[in-house]
Amino acid sequence: MSDAPRKLVGLVLLLVALALPFVLTDFWLQTGLFVMATAIGAVGLTLLVGVAGQLSLGHAAFAAIGAYVYAFTTGESTTTVEGLGLPPLLGLVLAALVAAGVGAAFSPIAGRLRGIYLGLATLGLVFVVRHLLVNLDQWTGGFVGRSVEPFAVPGFSFSNRDPDYLAVAGVEFEGLHRLWYLFVLLAVVAIWLASNMRNGRTGRAWANVRDSETAAAAMGVGVAGAKRSAFVVSSAYAGVAGAMLALAYGRVAPDVFSLTASVDYLVMIVLGGLGSVAGAAVGAVFVTSLPLVLAQYSSALPFLAAPGSGGLDPSTASRIVYGLAIIAVLVFLRGGLAGGARRLRERFTGSTPVPPVDRPVAEEPSRSKETTR
Amino acid sequence: MSYFLEQVLNGLSYGLVLSLIAAGFAIVFTSTGVLNFAHGSVVLLGAYLVAVLHDTIGFWPAVLVGLAGAAVVGVAINALLVRNLADPNPGTAAILMLGVDIVLLTELTRRIGNQVLTLGAPWGASVVRLGDVTLPTGRVLAAGVTVVAFGALWYLFSRTDLGVGMRAAAADGPTASLMGIRLSRTAATGWALAGILAAVAGIFLTSFPAPGVAPTVALSAFAAIPAWVLGGFDSVPGAVVGGLLIGLTSALVTGYEAELEPFLGSGFGEVAPYVVMIVVLLVRPSGLLGSKEAVRV
Amino acid sequence: MKHRVRAATLAAAALALAACSTTAPTASGGGGGDDVRTGNGVTADGITIGMITDLSGPFAAGAAVQVTETQAYWDQVNADGGICDRDVTVDVQDHGYDPQRAVTLYRSMAPDVVALQQVLGGPTSAAVLPLAEQDSVYVGGVGWAGSALAYENNQLPGASNAIQAANAIDYMVDELDVPEGSTVGVVYFTGDYGGDALAGAEHAAEERGLQILAQEITPATTDLSAQASALAQADVAGVVLAAAPTQLASLAGVLSSQGADVPIIGMNPTFNPSLLTTPAADALLANAYSMTSVSPYDNPDSPGVQAANELYASADPTGATGWEVPLAYVQAELLRQALEGACESGDLTPEGVVAAFRDGGEVDTEGVLPDGLDYSQVGQSPTTTVFVSKVSADAEAGLELLDQVSGPSAESFSYGG
Repeated sequence: MSDAPRKLVGLVLLLVALALPFVLTDFWLQTGLFVMATAIGAVGLTLLVGVAGQLSLGHAAFAAIGAYVYAFTTGESTTTVEGLGLPPLLGLVLAALVAAGVGAAFSPIAGRLRGIYLGLATLGLVFVVRHLLVNLDQWTGGFVGRSVEPFAVPGFSFSNRDPDYLAVAGVEFEGLHRLWYLFVLLAVVAIWLASNMRNGRTGRAWANVRDSETAAAAMGVGVAGAKRSAFVVSSAYAGVAGAMLALAYGRVAPDVFSLTASVDYLVMIVLGGLGSVAGAAVGAVFVTSLPLVLAQYSSALPFLAAPGSGGLDPSTASRIVYGLAIIAVLVFLRGGLAGGARRLRERFTGSTPVPPVDRPVAEEPSRSKETTR
Repeated sequence: MSYFLEQVLNGLSYGLVLSLIAAGFAIVFTSTGVLNFAHGSVVLLGAYLVAVLHDTIGFWPAVLVGLAGAAVVGVAINALLVRNLADPNPGTAAILMLGVDIVLLTELTRRIGNQVLTLGAPWGASVVRLGDVTLPTGRVLAAGVTVVAFGALWYLFSRTDLGVGMRAAAADGPTASLMGIRLSRTAATGWALAGILAAVAGIFLTSFPAPGVAPTVALSAFAAIPAWVLGGFDSVPGAVVGGLLIGLTSALVTGYEAELEPFLGSGFGEVAPYVVMIVVLLVRPSGLLGSKEAVRV
Repeated sequence: MKHRVRAATLAAAALALAACSTTAPTASGGGGGDDVRTGNGVTADGITIGMITDLSGPFAAGAAVQVTETQAYWDQVNADGGICDRDVTVDVQDHGYDPQRAVTLYRSMAPDVVALQQVLGGPTSAAVLPLAEQDSVYVGGVGWAGSALAYENNQLPGASNAIQAANAIDYMVDELDVPEGSTVGVVYFTGDYGGDALAGAEHAAEERGLQILAQEITPATTDLSAQASALAQADVAGVVLAAAPTQLASLAGVLSSQGADVPIIGMNPTFNPSLLTTPAADALLANAYSMTSVSPYDNPDSPGVQAANELYASADPTGATGWEVPLAYVQAELLRQALEGACESGDLTPEGVVAAFRDGGEVDTEGVLPDGLDYSQVGQSPTTTVFVSKVSADAEAGLELLDQVSGPSAESFSYGG
């Protein structure tokens, strides 16, 4: 596929994203905010896992760090929790930087481990961070968490206040609408940066390390450096995603960054197709919105039993459908959702499925690094 | 002193049960390369079958059905889903198992409801007294059964054609296949063994001192992950060592929580296994008994 | 091409700016034919209330009981003429114990409901409460953690966990012969529920001259051998348990097997009748008590509880019985009183419901909650009285009501003080 149509598709998607707040209800706006926040986290993780081949189950830990750094630096001190009261923009930057810093600090440890060992060691990170969040309660608010300052730039707040009333073309723009545009901006920048990185020199060095560390070293790629940069970049993405989640919730609590959240990021990138930036975003849409949409609309299905009657009720059914959907994608779609979409497009445009030259990484089947000897 | 001894014995017996689950992870991983996120649901399934059947067919027949049911589900998951993956690799397989886990766990949770289902185990709430130390009979029995189970596994892997074939398949699948070993058969055996071990663990995890079958039992599989990892991914003896180490750590950290709390914060017992795991992996990146990778850069 | 895009962008931006407005239009009038002011969720002939609960997660079974009871309650209210001459509809949604889903469902529900009868679960209601507070939407809590008391829009059904735990210590000293100077164990869930109970127990222990041995656990801890050994080693004279039924059965069983024959007092949700079929049944019958904010199921002296149970029995004759039945009934009852109060004062808006709920005046629940509930003070427990029950094989749903108590350290406990 040539470059121009891809850009056109991107432009159309962007215009649609910009127009959506005029028509969506609060439910869909809130869902969209969660989707965009997790999409950024998933894009970061696919760079680390899909491109650089470093399995991580600890992504939620870095997201938690970002979320709490934002909440702590921008929050005001109260009787129960401390805060620095810094401007929100600075808080967002700090969230990315601190998460990246922790990623850098963790990378020498990660350098010692490979494949699934690394994945499960990072799983430990989720529990350690959670323990710290619950126990350092003068900064974090402990188990119940703390509230989050709305994002603001001087003179304009991304909340229901300041200006208290804002309408565009007759549609009232409340906090959710305003945050939507902030999130679209962040998501576009994050995805654009990630695509460039993946297709550029850095991405090729990461892919080399993934395919063979020995070969990469022989070709002059600094293996430890490449691994570190992958960890730093992906942690920064997670940090931003965490801060965005905090903004979308309006508060942070350790439960938001549980083991399930960590595994969900992995589900997104695997369902989307490992190593594909667009796939990660599509995976985030699937994983984040499907349970929400199923929960919202399953009660409208007529054939299900009432809750508590012992039969299959809508809530249980929607959870099972979600599990089955994951299974179905993995069993039936080669290359995940991104792979399926590509084949569909090829069938539509009638083009033969030539291996696209400009996307070397996504086409390559990801190789497992564990040798079980 | 007897307090210390009691906590140690508690920890070791709990650790042996964990090692049954950890060994299941290791066997499935070596025979098919799958990180089995659905293992917890299989543990729960085995115990659930015993709990619903013991009233009608008696405890021991129910145990047989529970073990067989868990084994069959494992084999079926492998044959129907894992072998039909569109892109077979460890990543997709792990996520596939997550999907299976969601389906199984949701359905079991719905069936159990808010009941605490009792298992009807004949040892009830009885205890064994050794001097000052009391231990639940169920735990003593669990230790004995686990030792026997691992003896049987050792015999299988070292003295039978099937077991040797499984080890060969794990070491190098394509070569083993060329040598006439049927990989589908070794894989199915691995999943069946893991299912049986999970069901045995499930039975001991839901009988006294635990009250009965509740959906939270599925979480105990996550407690076994550090045991599996620090023992070494591909090692059944490693799973035993790992299980004992994690059981001991949990029991001692919990037992001396009052003394440790000022340094480590409250609730450290929950994190301790993962901290031990990370520390062990830093010293030995392939776990205590796992085989080393011969890669140097 | 580039120029055209740029020009189009500029034109669009100019249009958007021209369409912007920062002056709010004047609010529109009520939707009723009467002179009651109305807002979200209220039309001329209908009122919609919400319930965001857990129908697919860990609390699904108990939540289903509450949904059944709630539906039956409002059906009856509608049959008797409704509220403010309007029929009440309940919008039930399932968050599956996932805060993200709870927030999203709240967003979708908020424009269409006047109040939330219930948001079930600690982390889920913690996520919804601040949003609901911004919108001034009444939220019926399930969970008795003191952290929820700080919200003006939150209704806590009865005494908070700290008050329950303080009462538990008082009851041990006053009625169960726990001597001064002895040690009492507190086994608690990590989190707001357990933490609040621990705070109450620590306060009471200081008042009554006892020592506390605290043991933190999580819902995944189903085998409490290690904790029980530690308690037995410290020779505790009693245990306060802020956990769930699984933990109660395990703790009671192991403690009794180690010869520690001491009372175990559980907080609100720690007992479940199915525990009496487990091997720990004997130990539970001997030593287990329950300290609850809401009356237990078996309470023949309370007309409210009787009404609740009859309603449930006719709605679902084969359903599971337990503390959920009176709880759901009384939460519906509290909301009905708030809605009627809002109607009388002519302000049936979300803000009006919160105001009516907080406007002071004693709330009568016909014995489902203790008498003398006072919701006028934000930040403090609405009562210091709790129900004490003992596990019993003869009582319906396994709990026999012994007494209503309000101990001295429960009364001297104060949040933020």
